[in-house]
Amino acid sequence: MIVDANRIPHGATLSADLCIAGAGAAGIALALALMDSGLDVVLLESGADRPDERTQQLYQGGVADERLHTSPDRYRVRRFGGSTTLWGGRCMPFDAIDFEPRDYIAHSGWPISLADLLPHYPEANRLCEAGDFAYTAQDAFSRPIRPMIGGYQGEAFSTDTLERFSCPTDFARRYRRRLENGPVRVLHNANLCALDGGGAGTHAGAGRQVGPATVRTLAGTAFTVRARAYVLAAGGLETARLLLASPGASGRGLGNAHDLVGRYYMCHIAGTIGTADLSGASSVWHGYEVADDGVYCRRRLALRPQAQRRLQAGNFVARLHHPRIPDAGHGVGILSLLYLARPFIPYEYGKRLYGDAPGGAGAWLAHLRNVAADAPGTARFLWHWLRRRTLAERKFPSIVVHPRNRRYSLDFHAEQEPNPDSRVTLGEEVDALGMRRLRVDWRYTRRDVLTVQAALAELAGELRAAGVGSFEYDPETVEAEMTRYGAYGGHHIGTARMGTDPRSSVVDPDCRVHEAGNLYVAGSAVFPTSSQANPTLTIVALALRLAAHLRAEYGARPAGAAPAASAPDTPPITPLQEPQA
Amino acid sequence: MKTRVLVLGADGYVGRRVAAALAASDWAEPIAAGRRAGKGGAPGRITLDATDRWAVRNALAEADAAVNCVAGPAPVMVAGARALREAQDARPGGPLRLVHFSSMAVYGSAEGPVDEGHLLNGDLGPYAAAKASAEQLLTGREEVATLRPGCIYGPGSPQWSVRIARLLRAGRIGDLGVAGDGCSNLVYIDDVVAAVLAALRAGAAGGRAYNLAMDGAPSWNDYFAAYARALGAVPLRRIGRRRLMLETSLLAPALKIAGIAGRRIGMADLPPPIPPSLARLWSQDIRLLSQRARDELGLSWTPLETGLRETALAAAMAAGRGPGQPGKGG
Repeated sequence: MIVDANRIPHGATLSADLCIAGAGAAGIALALALMDSGLDVVLLESGADRPDERTQQLYQGGVADERLHTSPDRYRVRRFGGSTTLWGGRCMPFDAIDFEPRDYIAHSGWPISLADLLPHYPEANRLCEAGDFAYTAQDAFSRPIRPMIGGYQGEAFSTDTLERFSCPTDFARRYRRRLENGPVRVLHNANLCALDGGGAGTHAGAGRQVGPATVRTLAGTAFTVRARAYVLAAGGLETARLLLASPGASGRGLGNAHDLVGRYYMCHIAGTIGTADLSGASSVWHGYEVADDGVYCRRRLALRPQAQRRLQAGNFVARLHHPRIPDAGHGVGILSLLYLARPFIPYEYGKRLYGDAPGGAGAWLAHLRNVAADAPGTARFLWHWLRRRTLAERKFPSIVVHPRNRRYSLDFHAEQEPNPDSRVTLGEEVDALGMRRLRVDWRYTRRDVLTVQAALAELAGELRAAGVGSFEYDPETVEAEMTRYGAYGGHHIGTARMGTDPRSSVVDPDCRVHEAGNLYVAGSAVFPTSSQANPTLTIVALALRLAAHLRAEYGARPAGAAPAASAPDTPPITPLQEPQA
Repeated sequence: MKTRVLVLGADGYVGRRVAAALAASDWAEPIAAGRRAGKGGAPGRITLDATDRWAVRNALAEADAAVNCVAGPAPVMVAGARALREAQDARPGGPLRLVHFSSMAVYGSAEGPVDEGHLLNGDLGPYAAAKASAEQLLTGREEVATLRPGCIYGPGSPQWSVRIARLLRAGRIGDLGVAGDGCSNLVYIDDVVAAVLAALRAGAAGGRAYNLAMDGAPSWNDYFAAYARALGAVPLRRIGRRRLMLETSLLAPALKIAGIAGRRIGMADLPPPIPPSLARLWSQDIRLLSQRARDELGLSWTPLETGLRETALAAAMAAGRGPGQPGKGG
């Protein structure tokens, strides 16, 4: 059922087995996976069905360097569905090497392996509506598909791995009905503001017990949720904020006895650079293929694990990309059209399309000329875009330009090295609920620059050696290009990292906060390293793994039995109706 | 001596299969009763109006047991059940053992796990109401075993295989998103026939009802995806809410009218409509619990993969192409 938290009596106490904070990819996946568990679950969501400016403002905060990181209220959405209401839908699993400790990547290594997540990835793929869990061209297609670069068989790079695209699925819209009809109590407009530290714990697995949770609405209603266990599923930034906002046993924040919460903050290193001239290749295809399950798939250039080790580089992928949009010299009508559509493109997508290029009248005229000169191509594109993107529920993922001269720019996406000095902390300002706002100090390391430099140099060498073309770029500009737009937006990783040692990690391999026996974290905050992969699929897979753990740990009651912390104090609440579209 | 089993509605999909299975058995012989004339020459086949209690009574007099597979318009189903009850009551030697085909439709708009003790809502239109009424006329009687199948699929199943295949090949259904999240409650035709035979041979029926649906039946989305692959009707299409609404509110009435008109002028092969009731079923999360049929009738369910393979093979042979090859519009 879905309930407006403003209808809960002020001062009430709700009882539950499990209280989850955050109804985004992780929280909704967790709630769906526990619906038939017999556990009494409360899912707190700060927002509701529609965007709300006041709620979104709760995400505002400061950044140490605006050139390196956008304001914390960008690239994440505080509403039912969380940032799945905004995401682009790119899915891929982590690679086996991502979980390994690598002596050339500081603080690398997970306490779990890919094998621990593999049982959960297929269901995660289903929830993300990304089709089969098949991420190589051979696995995903029973028929041969076009090679990315005809005649190229790289030793250092593979073009056989795929990225698959979700619709992109808005988890709230997609799973609202299931939640509405299921036993989980989803509370809209419910902001988790603090978790009491509690006394010494009695729960097996040790640690102090936390709770109850203090919940407030922007309209002024306050109540508590008393649960046997709590899960923070509020995203990589907000989870750190919530932990730091509750004093915990140490007084420095929950889970923060060793000053680790908020540190090791990673995004991804991304940029567009150089010119790949593939005129020597027998064919080039950098567009999408549709698998039998109807999902758009795309090859990319992936740095193989052995090459990563040889180069001492982090994980790295690259895609053939269109020329820079603001430069009207590309002469491509659809790119110029995209430039002219700039005022209508959401900030989160526009930033990397347009950058900080000035938009003077001269530029507009030049782009208008391109559109006019390429009118048939532009019209074809618009028709395709209308049918396959605007009106389609499974959306064509992105603009793909096929230049006749086979000259492309290179779009890369790389792992970022964990760095304790890259961190988020609590600032002095407070939000409308009285909670201290976040301050983000994102940093990158020398290793991050070396990763991109080494991978690009390797790619240039391989393309040349294969005789399929060349990749020209200025090695001196790598650092500038990879930081041109700052940290890759929306991927907030590592702020409550997983490990076995409480002195170097915040949560254990079960995602339980070391120092709190009944507090868990779901989401990318627990990732010790960032991989090359976009995080959502792995966030969902980890949430499903956590659901299995919680079932085993907190057990299912016989059907019809009352919850353990059952609720004479739980007031009756009226479910919300689905909003009219 | 073999048991003579009167099969009412023997021209229908299930009735034909039941009659064939009885004929192939070493313990029974069917008396296949159909409404349409023209097949009367077949051995053991009689023409009979199942709503005519005198005709039914006469037919029962020649039989040792009966199976009621009568389908059709709602009034026919109810009238048939009434005629059957009256004929049973009037039978000189007492009522015969009877297997009555009801449907999961009797549960109407129920959602979640549903066992045989669930209220018979019958609240989703005339078909569901008629099924519930027919069942109420016949159940509770010691000699009657009632079967409530979910959606019967298999080679030649008009509703849940042939129609679905046409819609998949035409790209009119596929991945329906939230509109296809309902449980399909599929049951393979051979399992349904096995249930009939087991119910006929079991001891006292005791007026029991049995849900028939495979364990772990897929969602409609999963069924469509698996069937599309078996048919070669890929890539699967994502059908959005707007598209489905167009189907149910605009295209369905037009196709319905065209179908009626088409039959009059001899055009029988028009595209199938997707009426709102069908779209509603695809999103209804009702899950039949069939434990009783497993335990008491000794049934085991054909795996979906096996059922689909057989179904797709039959469809391919009917269309004159190999399985997994795309059909028209595929």
